[in-house]
Amino acid sequence: MDSEKDIEKEHVLSKRLNKIIQARIENDEETINAFKQLSTFYTENSLQARRNLRSQIEKRSLDINKQFLSSFLEVKNSFDCIYNDIADMSKSIQEMENRLHNTKTQTKQLLQQTSILQNERKKNIIQQNIVNAFLDRFQLSEEHLHILQGGKEQLLTPEIFSVIDRVQKIHNDCKILMQSGLQTLALDIMEQMTLYQEAALERLYRWTQNHCRNVENPDLTELITQAMLRLQDRPVLFKYVIDEYCICRRSKITDDFVNALTRGGPSGNPAPIEMRAHDSQIYVTDMLVWLNKAIAIEKQNLSLLLMLCTKNDSNDIITDSLAVICEGICQPLKMRVEKIINVPSQASVLYSVVNLLRYYKKCICKIVNKGLIQETLQELQENSEKSFLATLQNQVDSKLVRVEAPPRDLSPTLAITNLLAMLRDILSTANMSEGRETDMVKIAQTIMEPLLRAVNEQSSRLPPTDMAVYMLNCMYEMYTCLSLYEFMDDRLERLEAQSDAQIDTLTSEQAGSLVANLNLGPIYTILQDQSHGALSEVPGMEPSNLRNFLEKMDYLAAHPDSALLQQINLLTSSKHKKSVQKRSFDVLLAIYKQLYQAVLDPVNKYDSPHVIFNKTPDELEKIFS
Amino acid sequence: MSAGPYNYSYIFKYIIIGDMGVGKSCLLHQFTEKKFMADCPHTIGVEFGTRIIEVSGQKIKLQIWDTAGQERFRAVTRSYYRGAAGALMVYDITRRSTYNHLSSWLTDTRNLTNPSTVIFLIGNKCDLEGQRDVTYEEASKFAEENGLMFVEASAKTGDNVEEAFLETAKKIYQSIQDGRLDLNAAESGVQHKPSQPGRNPLSNDQQANKDNCAC
Repeated sequence: MDSEKDIEKEHVLSKRLNKIIQARIENDEETINAFKQLSTFYTENSLQARRNLRSQIEKRSLDINKQFLSSFLEVKNSFDCIYNDIADMSKSIQEMENRLHNTKTQTKQLLQQTSILQNERKKNIIQQNIVNAFLDRFQLSEEHLHILQGGKEQLLTPEIFSVIDRVQKIHNDCKILMQSGLQTLALDIMEQMTLYQEAALERLYRWTQNHCRNVENPDLTELITQAMLRLQDRPVLFKYVIDEYCICRRSKITDDFVNALTRGGPSGNPAPIEMRAHDSQIYVTDMLVWLNKAIAIEKQNLSLLLMLCTKNDSNDIITDSLAVICEGICQPLKMRVEKIINVPSQASVLYSVVNLLRYYKKCICKIVNKGLIQETLQELQENSEKSFLATLQNQVDSKLVRVEAPPRDLSPTLAITNLLAMLRDILSTANMSEGRETDMVKIAQTIMEPLLRAVNEQSSRLPPTDMAVYMLNCMYEMYTCLSLYEFMDDRLERLEAQSDAQIDTLTSEQAGSLVANLNLGPIYTILQDQSHGALSEVPGMEPSNLRNFLEKMDYLAAHPDSALLQQINLLTSSKHKKSVQKRSFDVLLAIYKQLYQAVLDPVNKYDSPHVIFNKTPDELEKIFS
Repeated sequence: MSAGPYNYSYIFKYIIIGDMGVGKSCLLHQFTEKKFMADCPHTIGVEFGTRIIEVSGQKIKLQIWDTAGQERFRAVTRSYYRGAAGALMVYDITRRSTYNHLSSWLTDTRNLTNPSTVIFLIGNKCDLEGQRDVTYEEASKFAEENGLMFVEASAKTGDNVEEAFLETAKKIYQSIQDGRLDLNAAESGVQHKPSQPGRNPLSNDQQANKDNCAC
């Protein structure tokens, strides 16, 4: 055992030794450091030194420990400090923790509140959206309001109409609101909208009133017509605008007319109408043409102005307004036309003025059939007609002022042929004019009545035959003149009847002269007398006497013209002449026939009655016809 | 009967005669226009008026010659007697002189017209009763003696004017119906009849004699 221990001891020792031996000091850093350290103070390898080494090392060790201690004390102090600090910190934290805790309990309430508020906020946002939507729907935006109300200087824009429409729509929508039970609100909004509407219309009205006169300006047409459309809902404003329009246009058309009359177009083209005032026809035509055109344009403008207004009968408004617009031109027109009418001139010229006035009155009255213009034109027309007839009358009277004696050839006097030429002249014009029937009848009356009177007057100083011939010639001339025209039937009938009467007179005269020439008077008287016996025994009826008459009759049959009164040859109308001739010969024939029958009648006791007559009445009739 | 384009069957020619100022033209005017014409001027020669009337359902056109009363136109007015189927002889009841001249007017008429011519005596201005100068009875007697129709009328009020013209027309129409009046004569006077010598100053004998002697 011991041995073993020994062995073991030995073994451990050897091991250690081995270790030491094997330990390679140069590789052991600690050792190297220790030696380096040792070299600092162990400078002399002496015994003393070796002996002291231990204490020295111990001394050094003590120093070091002392040094360490003092250093450590410092550390300790530092640690103490740190400890204190940490303790402080801990305290603070504790405090904070407490505080935090407190806060935490407090915040909980706050949170609750917050969440409530948050919910409310959400609700509010929803409400706000609703309100905004509502406002959008039932209120006007700033922009819209601006458009609607406008500034003082601001121009009217077309948007105003859509805004007005919107106001109207809101107004209408309020009814839905009302149905949904929001009466107060609806009523308020309605009231507000009504106010807006009024304000907008008021503004429209002012604007339109200022601008309506320029309706034909293409930039404004759209706006103005739209404005008029809106305004027609307010009859009073609408009427004011129309009134204003009429006043403006009235003065404009009047100015234009006066300018056209006195100044003409720009740089004198066309020339002023008054330049040609010396020619009444052209003057009147120019004026009336100008007016007709201008009034037509006015009508066009008015129609444009009221283009969209369908509520009222715009035709009535147009006519009324046109009547007002045309008021101004009446005076200048009337003055000028009356001057022409009243200045003495040729009846034929006046008549063409009458016709011009009639024609243009008709044209203009087609456009505007009431008011001063219509009255003026009517008056002018009537005055011109009167003046024409008066002038005609004067002209006729002045021609017939002296009763001339008819010329030797019993043809109508110069005054009569002249007047008939004038009648023909005027009737030819009248024949183509409006209302020609009344005209022609009046004209014919104006000329024919004095003419007939004059002819009667002239004739009354003539012997019967001359009178009849002269009258027939005059009637014939008149008949020829009048028969060319319509509506003269009454006059022609009268002339014809008058001529017939004169032909009767002439026939009577001619027959009388024939009977006298042929010495037929006594024979006729005897023939009529029934109281005698046989005719052959009556003195004057003996065959020889009869033969005397019959010879004359034969001569007449051969030369029918020879026995005619010389005045008959002065008849202008061969028809009249033939008629007188035939009728007077008929008278002769009738007596001849009577005589013929009487002679052939055995009661009258003529010897060989056939010898007395060498012609039968029929043969004689053939010759005469 | 040539009615022409007009709607009537006969034309009767009338003549109105009488002294100046008795109201011949006013009577005609009253008859044709149914109006009184105040300040009527003197007629120069003859005036003319027409009107269509109806007698026994027949339309008749009256062609009326209104003659001048002035002596100087006598020659002119004489021409119109010949064709007349009716003669209205007018005097003024307020002026006796116009009545006194009636016989001369009547002679003229008888001489110048057809024997079948209806002569109608009219005492005009019967509205002026206060100024009456000729009694109704006197004139009535005169008319009866001369076989004239008679009425007092007023052109101013229109009293009896229509009647005078219509009665004359009825009488003429009656003559036509009776065959006493040749239609030709009624239409256009005596000129179509070969009885002209009856109008001749050479022989004023009645036509009836002549007609009878034709056999």
